[in-house]
Amino acid sequence: MALFKRVENAIDASIGRRRLGYIALSLITLYFLWFPNDASQSDYYKTVFISGFFYAIMASSWALLAGIAGQFSFGHMAFMGIGAYVAGLIARDGILVAALGIQVGPDYISAVGAILIGTIVAGLVGLVIGWLLLRLRSAYLALFTIAFSELFRIMMLTEYDYTGGSNGLSLRQLLEIADVGVARQVEYYLMFFLLIVCLLAMYWVANSPIGLFLRAMREDEDAASALGVNVVRYKIAIFVFTSMIVGLAGAIFYSDVGSERIIPEQLEVLQMSLIIAYAVIGGMESLIGAAAGAFICRYMLEAMRKVVIGLPFGMTTADGSTEFVWEPGAWRYALFGVVTVFTLRWMRNGLLYPFITWFSGRDIAMKETVSIRADDEAAPDALEGGSA
Amino acid sequence: MPEINLELNSVSKRFGGNQAVDHVSFSVTKPELIGMIGPNGAGKTTLTNVMSGMLKPSSGTIYLNGRRIDGHPAYDVTRAGLGRTFQITRALGRMTVMENMLVPGLAHNPGTKRSELEKQAQEILDLLTIAHLTREYSRALSGGQRKLLELGRLLMLDPAVIILDEPFAGVHPRLQETIYRYIDRVYQDGKAIILISHDMAAVFELSQRLLVLNHGALIADGAPQAVRKDPAVIEAYLGEDEDD
Repeated sequence: MALFKRVENAIDASIGRRRLGYIALSLITLYFLWFPNDASQSDYYKTVFISGFFYAIMASSWALLAGIAGQFSFGHMAFMGIGAYVAGLIARDGILVAALGIQVGPDYISAVGAILIGTIVAGLVGLVIGWLLLRLRSAYLALFTIAFSELFRIMMLTEYDYTGGSNGLSLRQLLEIADVGVARQVEYYLMFFLLIVCLLAMYWVANSPIGLFLRAMREDEDAASALGVNVVRYKIAIFVFTSMIVGLAGAIFYSDVGSERIIPEQLEVLQMSLIIAYAVIGGMESLIGAAAGAFICRYMLEAMRKVVIGLPFGMTTADGSTEFVWEPGAWRYALFGVVTVFTLRWMRNGLLYPFITWFSGRDIAMKETVSIRADDEAAPDALEGGSA
Repeated sequence: MPEINLELNSVSKRFGGNQAVDHVSFSVTKPELIGMIGPNGAGKTTLTNVMSGMLKPSSGTIYLNGRRIDGHPAYDVTRAGLGRTFQITRALGRMTVMENMLVPGLAHNPGTKRSELEKQAQEILDLLTIAHLTREYSRALSGGQRKLLELGRLLMLDPAVIILDEPFAGVHPRLQETIYRYIDRVYQDGKAIILISHDMAAVFELSQRLLVLNHGALIADGAPQAVRKDPAVIEAYLGEDEDD
């Protein structure tokens, strides 16, 4: 502990924690940029990383919606699905708006155009759902969004003539690259940059006055309104914004970038629960924490499919092997559940919170304030409190 | 000095069969310290909620500086120039004291630089003796400190009319002095204050005018000394003075 304190003091006196945090973040970014060029890595792990980036977008955008804005929605996967399904249907069937006399054949719609339309439609549905949710809070909001999510999933499942039902829907391929290795690399960078762009956009919102208003809404909608915050506008806006982000991520991911097709199974409440668990483990009120939590969880869940441990000191197993092999199967999800329970009970701000606050220097600010409070207690004239 | 012209015309609020506010009319046209008193359930908080846009009135109209505000959402009423505190303090718990101050600052002055608002907030917190708690989460404050924070947030809005709902309830006597100073400063700045309190000593000491509610109806509106002798008020709320 004393050694840690000494190292901490040395860092504070020299480079500073925040700068060290930026350096660490830059090194992690460089690692991700270099990773696909590592010849020792299989395509399988590149795929795992692509999936990790996708879930990082899902978890961090949910953290913005629920952790920062306080809208505990279960509809996130449904909005993602809307983006993906609309992009797929538009690219396959074109657009027909009979009322306006608009008809555009699929040949005139590119994959990018279909993705953009899917994103916009997800945002429009977010607008309607945000408006319907205006008077709903906490459990009622959660129940409403579960119902909406299930409604959408069942629609996609039953309307199999259009959506492919349980077989799912193939979206138009976004990247048509013949070389599989190169394609995997481009897909990797596409999802990685999408994650970076989404995180930057969300950070901009979270750190702007809008972010402050969203947090005020989370704490107390009536009080925020009495302080001049247009709660209706920001509540709808955050639903539209996060719906568009996940709609875009879904439409791109399922355009054969991370997965060949979108299936209704992806929209189940269980999948949504996983997104929430990733965000909780990483840190619900931290965008980077939720993103990192999702990525690490996805990676660990894949890595734990088969755990191989080399035995030391010439030890062997009963069948003479020098390696202990454990294939936990579904048990890895049980372990994941244990981590979630541990986080909720003992580290509500997420497992990464101590690192984030340390690097951001926020814990120094809190220590300073606490020390001032201690001084106040010593000099009661400076401040007098009422009932606690 | 902000313009003040608050006008309530026969405002009523009914919850099912319960007439919580019954055709209340009064106006405020100058900087004034107005006490609003009445027994529990008289409709003081309901009337405050109606005036501040938290509730829509069942009937009647409210105008603030020529603009009709009844039925408008709370944020709109606040921006129009009517600010309020809550009977049970509603500090934004997982936000720092400074962030609590910046919310109304940025909502009311969207184009203003954050550093300017922080400076203004710091001055207000200084006046309220809680400037050293700027970076503390407001959930960590005591009840009295939260009351002060609520009062501070109001000053960031610079409203023409301020409704203080039970500002002295559960507050340490020495901290009450800070609230007295605050009320005096706000009044000197040319604002009208409507003070709702069960602390009769404070109400009679501070108020230049008293409004008395009973069963939702306004039963008296006048100078404190006149209201004190009003038989309807004595019967409904104050009771007989032992010295008389």
